[in-house]
Amino acid sequence: MEFRREFWSIYRESLPILFIALGGGLFAGLVLEGMLESVERFPGLLVMVPVFLATRGNVYGALGGRISSGLHQGLIAPRFERNERLVNAVIASFINGIGISIVIGVISWGALNVLGRSSSTLVELVGIMLIAGVLTSFVMIGGLLLLIFTGYKLGYDPDNLVGPIVTTLGDIFGMAFLFLAVIIVEVLL
Amino acid sequence: MVVPSGSLGTWETKSIVTTMFPLLVVLCVIVLWAGITLEDAEELLETYGLLAVMVPTMVDMGGNLGAILSSRLSTRFHLGTTEIDLKDRVLWANIAAVLGLAATIFTALAFGAWAIGQVIGAALPLSTLLIISLTSGMAVAVIAIIASVFATYGSYKLGVDPDDTTIPIVTNVVDVCGMIIFIGISSLVLGF
Repeated sequence: MEFRREFWSIYRESLPILFIALGGGLFAGLVLEGMLESVERFPGLLVMVPVFLATRGNVYGALGGRISSGLHQGLIAPRFERNERLVNAVIASFINGIGISIVIGVISWGALNVLGRSSSTLVELVGIMLIAGVLTSFVMIGGLLLLIFTGYKLGYDPDNLVGPIVTTLGDIFGMAFLFLAVIIVEVLL
Repeated sequence: MVVPSGSLGTWETKSIVTTMFPLLVVLCVIVLWAGITLEDAEELLETYGLLAVMVPTMVDMGGNLGAILSSRLSTRFHLGTTEIDLKDRVLWANIAAVLGLAATIFTALAFGAWAIGQVIGAALPLSTLLIISLTSGMAVAVIAIIASVFATYGSYKLGVDPDDTTIPIVTNVVDVCGMIIFIGISSLVLGF
Protein backbone atom coordinates (compact mmCIF):
# COMPACT_ATOMS: atom_id res chain seq x y z
CA MET A 1 0.00 0.00 0.00
CA GLU A 2 2.76 2.39 0.99
CA PHE A 3 4.56 1.64 -2.28
CA ARG A 4 1.52 2.45 -4.39
CA ARG A 5 0.70 5.66 -2.50
CA GLU A 6 4.28 6.93 -2.71
CA PHE A 7 4.47 6.05 -6.42
CA TRP A 8 1.32 7.94 -7.38
CA SER A 9 2.13 10.94 -5.20
CA ILE A 10 5.49 11.47 -6.95
CA TYR A 11 4.01 10.75 -10.38
CA ARG A 12 1.10 13.16 -9.99
CA GLU A 13 3.25 15.88 -8.46
CA SER A 14 5.93 15.82 -11.17
CA LEU A 15 4.03 15.06 -14.38
CA PRO A 16 2.52 18.53 -15.03
CA ILE A 17 5.95 20.13 -14.56
CA LEU A 18 7.57 17.69 -16.99
CA PHE A 19 4.84 18.34 -19.56
CA ILE A 20 5.52 22.07 -19.39
CA ALA A 21 9.23 21.33 -19.88
CA LEU A 22 8.31 19.09 -22.85
CA GLY A 23 6.39 21.95 -24.47
CA GLY A 24 9.38 24.28 -24.10
CA GLY A 25 11.70 21.57 -25.40
CA LEU A 26 9.62 20.96 -28.54
CA PHE A 27 9.50 24.69 -29.30
CA ALA A 28 13.30 24.89 -28.88
CA GLY A 29 13.59 21.86 -31.17
CA LEU A 30 11.62 23.62 -33.89
CA VAL A 31 13.97 26.60 -33.68
CA LEU A 32 16.99 24.25 -33.81
CA GLU A 33 15.55 22.59 -36.91
CA GLY A 34 15.20 26.01 -38.52
CA MET A 35 18.77 26.89 -37.54
CA LEU A 36 20.33 23.87 -39.30
CA GLU A 37 20.63 25.94 -42.49
CA SER A 38 22.98 28.37 -40.77
CA VAL A 39 25.34 25.56 -39.75
CA GLU A 40 27.02 25.63 -43.17
CA ARG A 41 27.76 29.34 -42.74
CA PHE A 42 29.01 28.90 -39.15
CA PRO A 43 30.73 25.51 -38.68
CA GLY A 44 30.90 24.70 -34.97
CA LEU A 45 27.55 26.29 -34.21
CA LEU A 46 26.01 22.91 -33.32
CA VAL A 47 28.78 22.19 -30.79
CA MET A 48 27.72 25.24 -28.79
CA VAL A 49 23.97 24.47 -28.71
CA PRO A 50 23.83 21.85 -25.90
CA VAL A 51 26.47 23.69 -23.87
CA PHE A 52 24.61 26.99 -24.17
CA LEU A 53 21.27 25.41 -23.19
CA ALA A 54 22.76 23.48 -20.23
CA THR A 55 24.51 26.61 -18.96
CA ARG A 56 21.24 28.58 -18.86
CA GLY A 57 19.92 25.90 -16.49
CA ASN A 58 23.05 25.95 -14.31
CA VAL A 59 23.30 29.74 -13.90
CA TYR A 60 19.65 30.65 -13.48
CA GLY A 61 18.78 27.47 -11.55
CA ALA A 62 21.32 28.63 -8.97
CA LEU A 63 19.81 32.14 -8.91
CA GLY A 64 16.32 30.68 -8.52
CA GLY A 65 17.46 28.41 -5.68
CA ARG A 66 19.07 31.36 -3.91
CA ILE A 67 16.01 33.62 -4.30
CA SER A 68 13.75 30.83 -3.13
CA SER A 69 15.87 30.22 0.03
CA GLY A 70 15.97 33.97 0.61
CA LEU A 71 12.18 34.18 0.48
CA HIS A 72 11.82 31.23 2.87
CA GLN A 73 14.22 32.86 5.34
CA GLY A 74 12.62 36.28 5.03
CA LEU A 75 15.89 37.79 3.78
CA ILE A 76 14.26 39.27 0.69
CA ALA A 77 10.73 40.37 -0.11
CA PRO A 78 8.75 39.02 -3.08
CA ARG A 79 8.92 42.22 -5.14
CA PHE A 80 11.33 44.17 -7.35
CA GLU A 81 13.06 46.57 -4.96
CA ARG A 82 16.51 47.94 -4.13
CA ASN A 83 17.24 45.19 -1.65
CA GLU A 84 21.02 44.86 -1.43
CA ARG A 85 20.94 41.04 -1.37
CA LEU A 86 18.60 40.83 -4.35
CA VAL A 87 20.68 43.33 -6.35
CA ASN A 88 23.93 41.48 -5.53
CA ALA A 89 22.49 38.10 -6.54
CA VAL A 90 21.13 39.54 -9.79
CA ILE A 91 24.44 41.23 -10.68
CA ALA A 92 26.30 37.97 -9.95
CA SER A 93 23.96 36.12 -12.33
CA PHE A 94 24.58 38.65 -15.09
CA ILE A 95 28.34 38.25 -14.63
CA ASN A 96 28.14 34.43 -14.50
CA GLY A 97 25.67 34.15 -17.38
CA ILE A 98 27.44 36.52 -19.77
CA GLY A 99 30.95 35.49 -18.68
CA ILE A 100 30.28 31.79 -19.22
CA SER A 101 28.77 32.52 -22.65
CA ILE A 102 32.10 34.00 -23.74
CA VAL A 103 33.90 30.96 -22.27
CA ILE A 104 31.62 28.63 -24.30
CA GLY A 105 32.58 30.41 -27.52
CA VAL A 106 36.29 30.18 -26.67
CA ILE A 107 36.38 26.52 -25.57
CA SER A 108 34.19 25.38 -28.49
CA TRP A 109 36.55 27.13 -30.90
CA GLY A 110 39.55 25.61 -29.07
CA ALA A 111 38.08 22.09 -29.08
CA LEU A 112 37.22 22.26 -32.79
CA ASN A 113 40.76 23.36 -33.64
CA VAL A 114 42.44 20.79 -31.38
CA LEU A 115 40.29 18.05 -32.97
CA GLY A 116 41.22 19.38 -36.41
CA ARG A 117 37.63 20.13 -37.48
CA SER A 118 36.38 23.01 -39.54
CA SER A 119 35.45 25.95 -37.38
CA SER A 120 34.14 29.48 -37.72
CA THR A 121 36.47 32.24 -36.55
CA LEU A 122 36.88 32.86 -32.83
CA VAL A 123 35.25 36.29 -33.25
CA GLU A 124 32.17 34.77 -34.93
CA LEU A 125 31.62 32.07 -32.28
CA VAL A 126 32.25 34.40 -29.33
CA GLY A 127 30.13 37.11 -30.99
CA ILE A 128 27.16 34.74 -31.35
CA MET A 129 27.50 33.55 -27.73
CA LEU A 130 27.92 37.09 -26.36
CA ILE A 131 24.81 38.45 -28.10
CA ALA A 132 22.73 35.37 -27.20
CA GLY A 133 24.06 35.40 -23.64
CA VAL A 134 23.27 39.08 -22.99
CA LEU A 135 19.74 38.90 -24.46
CA THR A 136 18.93 35.65 -22.60
CA SER A 137 20.24 37.05 -19.29
CA PHE A 138 17.82 39.97 -19.30
CA VAL A 139 14.77 37.88 -20.16
CA MET A 140 15.69 34.95 -17.88
CA ILE A 141 16.43 37.06 -14.80
CA GLY A 142 13.39 39.29 -15.26
CA GLY A 143 11.06 36.41 -16.09
CA LEU A 144 12.37 34.14 -13.34
CA LEU A 145 12.00 36.79 -10.63
CA LEU A 146 8.54 37.79 -11.85
CA LEU A 147 7.27 34.19 -11.90
CA ILE A 148 8.84 33.23 -8.54
CA PHE A 149 7.52 36.39 -6.81
CA THR A 150 4.03 35.95 -8.29
CA GLY A 151 3.98 32.23 -7.43
CA TYR A 152 5.17 32.93 -3.87
CA LYS A 153 2.48 35.57 -3.32
CA LEU A 154 -0.14 33.12 -4.61
CA GLY A 155 1.04 30.59 -2.02
CA TYR A 156 3.20 28.20 -4.11
CA ASP A 157 6.47 26.88 -2.70
CA PRO A 158 9.16 28.58 -4.84
CA ASP A 159 11.37 25.46 -4.46
CA ASN A 160 8.97 23.53 -6.68
CA LEU A 161 8.74 26.32 -9.26
CA VAL A 162 12.41 27.05 -9.95
CA GLY A 163 13.42 23.90 -11.87
CA PRO A 164 10.60 23.83 -14.42
CA ILE A 165 10.58 27.63 -14.91
CA VAL A 166 14.31 27.64 -15.62
CA THR A 167 14.22 24.65 -17.99
CA THR A 168 11.24 25.93 -19.95
CA LEU A 169 12.25 29.62 -20.20
CA GLY A 170 15.86 28.58 -20.85
CA ASP A 171 14.92 26.31 -23.75
CA ILE A 172 12.50 28.76 -25.35
CA PHE A 173 14.45 32.00 -24.99
CA GLY A 174 17.90 30.37 -25.17
CA MET A 175 17.18 28.91 -28.62
CA ALA A 176 15.23 31.92 -29.89
CA PHE A 177 18.00 34.37 -28.95
CA LEU A 178 20.68 32.00 -30.26
CA PHE A 179 18.91 32.05 -33.63
CA LEU A 180 18.64 35.85 -33.48
CA ALA A 181 22.33 36.14 -32.56
CA VAL A 182 23.28 34.00 -35.57
CA ILE A 183 21.29 36.31 -37.86
CA ILE A 184 22.85 39.45 -36.31
CA VAL A 185 26.41 38.11 -36.63
CA GLU A 186 25.68 37.00 -40.21
CA VAL A 187 24.70 40.58 -41.11
CA LEU A 188 27.50 42.30 -39.17
CA LEU A 189 30.49 40.13 -40.12
CA MET B 1 17.28 32.06 11.84
CA VAL B 2 19.40 29.41 10.19
CA VAL B 3 21.61 30.70 7.41
CA PRO B 4 22.86 27.85 5.21
CA SER B 5 26.60 27.41 4.89
CA GLY B 6 28.42 27.13 1.56
CA SER B 7 27.81 29.22 -1.51
CA LEU B 8 24.07 29.52 -0.86
CA GLY B 9 24.68 31.37 2.40
CA THR B 10 26.39 34.30 0.78
CA TRP B 11 24.71 37.30 -0.79
CA GLU B 12 27.84 39.12 -2.01
CA THR B 13 28.30 39.42 -5.74
CA LYS B 14 32.02 38.68 -5.66
CA SER B 15 31.78 35.50 -3.60
CA ILE B 16 28.81 34.16 -5.61
CA VAL B 17 30.81 34.63 -8.81
CA THR B 18 34.08 33.22 -7.47
CA THR B 19 32.43 30.09 -6.03
CA MET B 20 30.19 29.41 -9.03
CA PHE B 21 32.25 30.36 -12.06
CA PRO B 22 34.85 27.54 -11.80
CA LEU B 23 32.04 24.98 -11.48
CA LEU B 24 30.30 26.47 -14.53
CA VAL B 25 33.48 26.12 -16.58
CA VAL B 26 33.83 22.44 -15.51
CA LEU B 27 30.19 21.80 -16.48
CA CYS B 28 30.76 23.44 -19.89
CA VAL B 29 33.68 21.14 -20.59
CA ILE B 30 31.53 18.09 -19.66
CA VAL B 31 28.62 19.15 -21.90
CA LEU B 32 31.00 20.05 -24.76
CA TRP B 33 31.07 16.31 -25.43
CA ALA B 34 27.35 16.41 -26.17
CA GLY B 35 27.97 19.31 -28.53
CA ILE B 36 30.62 17.41 -30.47
CA THR B 37 28.23 14.42 -30.73
CA LEU B 38 25.58 16.75 -32.14
CA GLU B 39 28.00 18.27 -34.66
CA ASP B 40 29.01 14.76 -35.80
CA ALA B 41 25.33 13.97 -36.41
CA GLU B 42 24.81 17.03 -38.64
CA GLU B 43 24.04 15.01 -41.78
CA LEU B 44 21.66 12.73 -39.90
CA LEU B 45 19.82 15.79 -38.58
CA GLU B 46 19.67 17.44 -42.00
CA THR B 47 18.17 14.29 -43.51
CA TYR B 48 15.70 13.76 -40.66
CA GLY B 49 14.79 17.24 -39.38
CA LEU B 50 12.37 15.74 -36.86
CA LEU B 51 15.32 14.39 -34.87
CA ALA B 52 16.52 17.99 -34.38
CA VAL B 53 13.07 18.83 -33.01
CA MET B 54 13.56 16.12 -30.36
CA VAL B 55 17.13 17.12 -29.40
CA PRO B 56 16.51 19.79 -26.69
CA THR B 57 14.02 17.56 -24.87
CA MET B 58 16.36 14.57 -25.02
CA VAL B 59 19.14 16.75 -23.60
CA ASP B 60 17.05 18.22 -20.77
CA MET B 61 14.73 15.44 -19.69
CA GLY B 62 17.33 13.02 -18.27
CA GLY B 63 18.63 15.83 -16.08
CA ASN B 64 15.08 16.75 -15.01
CA LEU B 65 14.33 13.16 -13.98
CA GLY B 66 17.65 12.93 -12.13
CA ALA B 67 16.94 16.20 -10.32
CA ILE B 68 13.48 15.00 -9.18
CA LEU B 69 14.96 11.81 -7.72
CA SER B 70 18.05 13.51 -6.24
CA SER B 71 16.07 16.18 -4.41
CA ARG B 72 13.72 13.55 -2.93
CA LEU B 73 16.60 11.32 -1.87
CA SER B 74 18.55 14.20 -0.33
CA THR B 75 15.47 15.24 1.65
CA ARG B 76 15.21 11.67 2.99
CA PHE B 77 18.88 11.74 3.98
CA HIS B 78 18.36 15.07 5.76
CA LEU B 79 15.44 13.46 7.59
CA GLY B 80 17.59 10.62 8.90
CA THR B 81 17.78 7.74 6.39
CA THR B 82 21.49 7.01 6.38
CA GLU B 83 22.04 3.87 4.30
CA ILE B 84 20.94 2.64 0.90
CA ASP B 85 18.74 -0.33 1.80
CA LEU B 86 17.71 -2.45 -1.17
CA LYS B 87 14.67 -3.63 0.81
CA ASP B 88 13.56 -0.01 1.30
CA ARG B 89 10.13 0.10 -0.34
CA VAL B 90 10.01 3.91 -0.48
CA LEU B 91 13.29 3.97 -2.44
CA TRP B 92 11.82 1.52 -4.96
CA ALA B 93 8.60 3.53 -5.16
CA ASN B 94 10.70 6.60 -6.02
CA ILE B 95 12.60 4.69 -8.69
CA ALA B 96 9.41 3.17 -10.15
CA ALA B 97 7.79 6.62 -10.26
CA VAL B 98 10.75 8.08 -12.20
CA LEU B 99 10.52 5.19 -14.70
CA GLY B 100 6.76 5.75 -15.00
CA LEU B 101 7.30 9.46 -15.61
CA ALA B 102 9.95 8.69 -18.23
CA ALA B 103 7.67 6.23 -20.06
CA THR B 104 4.86 8.81 -20.12
CA ILE B 105 6.93 11.81 -21.16
CA PHE B 106 8.95 10.02 -23.88
CA THR B 107 5.74 8.58 -25.36
CA ALA B 108 4.40 12.14 -25.40
CA LEU B 109 7.65 13.35 -27.03
CA ALA B 110 7.19 10.86 -29.89
CA PHE B 111 3.57 11.94 -30.42
CA GLY B 112 4.57 15.63 -30.20
CA ALA B 113 7.36 15.21 -32.75
CA TRP B 114 5.05 13.21 -35.03
CA ALA B 115 2.39 15.95 -34.90
CA ILE B 116 5.01 18.63 -35.67
CA GLY B 117 6.21 16.46 -38.57
CA GLN B 118 2.69 16.46 -40.05
CA VAL B 119 2.67 20.27 -39.96
CA ILE B 120 6.19 21.03 -41.23
CA GLY B 121 6.15 18.12 -43.69
CA ALA B 122 9.19 16.27 -42.34
CA ALA B 123 7.43 13.06 -41.47
CA LEU B 124 8.83 9.91 -39.91
CA PRO B 125 6.40 7.08 -39.03
CA LEU B 126 4.98 7.27 -35.52
CA SER B 127 6.24 3.74 -34.76
CA THR B 128 9.83 4.74 -35.63
CA LEU B 129 9.58 7.86 -33.45
CA LEU B 130 8.17 5.81 -30.57
CA ILE B 131 10.99 3.26 -30.81
CA ILE B 132 13.68 5.97 -30.90
CA SER B 133 12.15 8.12 -28.16
CA LEU B 134 11.26 5.32 -25.73
CA THR B 135 14.45 3.26 -26.16
CA SER B 136 16.78 6.21 -25.69
CA GLY B 137 14.51 7.83 -23.07
CA MET B 138 14.27 4.75 -20.86
CA ALA B 139 18.02 4.12 -21.16
CA VAL B 140 18.67 7.70 -20.04
CA ALA B 141 16.18 7.32 -17.17
CA VAL B 142 18.01 4.23 -15.87
CA ILE B 143 21.35 6.08 -16.03
CA ALA B 144 19.78 9.10 -14.29
CA ILE B 145 18.47 6.84 -11.49
CA ILE B 146 21.79 5.07 -10.90
CA ALA B 147 23.76 8.34 -11.02
CA SER B 148 21.35 10.14 -8.67
CA VAL B 149 21.26 7.36 -6.06
CA PHE B 150 25.04 7.03 -5.92
CA ALA B 151 25.78 10.76 -6.12
CA THR B 152 23.29 11.70 -3.41
CA TYR B 153 24.46 8.89 -1.16
CA GLY B 154 28.13 9.67 -1.88
CA SER B 155 27.87 13.38 -1.18
CA TYR B 156 25.96 12.64 2.01
CA LYS B 157 28.78 10.33 3.16
CA LEU B 158 31.38 12.98 2.28
CA GLY B 159 29.41 15.66 4.10
CA VAL B 160 28.85 17.81 0.99
CA ASP B 161 25.48 19.45 0.41
CA PRO B 162 24.22 17.68 -2.75
CA ASP B 163 22.38 20.85 -3.86
CA ASP B 164 25.63 22.75 -4.30
CA THR B 165 27.71 20.50 -6.52
CA THR B 166 26.46 16.93 -6.87
CA ILE B 167 23.09 17.62 -8.47
CA PRO B 168 24.46 20.02 -11.12
CA ILE B 169 27.25 17.60 -12.03
CA VAL B 170 24.90 14.58 -12.18
CA THR B 171 22.27 16.38 -14.27
CA ASN B 172 24.92 17.60 -16.72
CA VAL B 173 26.54 14.17 -17.06
CA VAL B 174 23.09 12.66 -17.65
CA ASP B 175 22.43 15.33 -20.31
CA VAL B 176 25.55 14.23 -22.16
CA CYS B 177 24.47 10.57 -21.94
CA GLY B 178 21.05 11.57 -23.29
CA MET B 179 22.57 13.13 -26.39
CA ILE B 180 25.00 10.27 -27.09
CA ILE B 181 22.35 7.56 -26.61
CA PHE B 182 19.76 9.45 -28.67
CA ILE B 183 22.08 9.98 -31.64
CA GLY B 184 23.37 6.39 -31.39
CA ILE B 185 19.91 4.80 -31.29
CA SER B 186 18.57 7.11 -34.02
CA SER B 187 21.40 6.15 -36.40
CA LEU B 188 20.84 2.47 -35.59
CA VAL B 189 17.05 2.54 -36.08
CA LEU B 190 17.21 4.63 -39.28
CA GLY B 191 20.18 2.63 -40.61
CA PHE B 192 22.15 5.81 -41.22
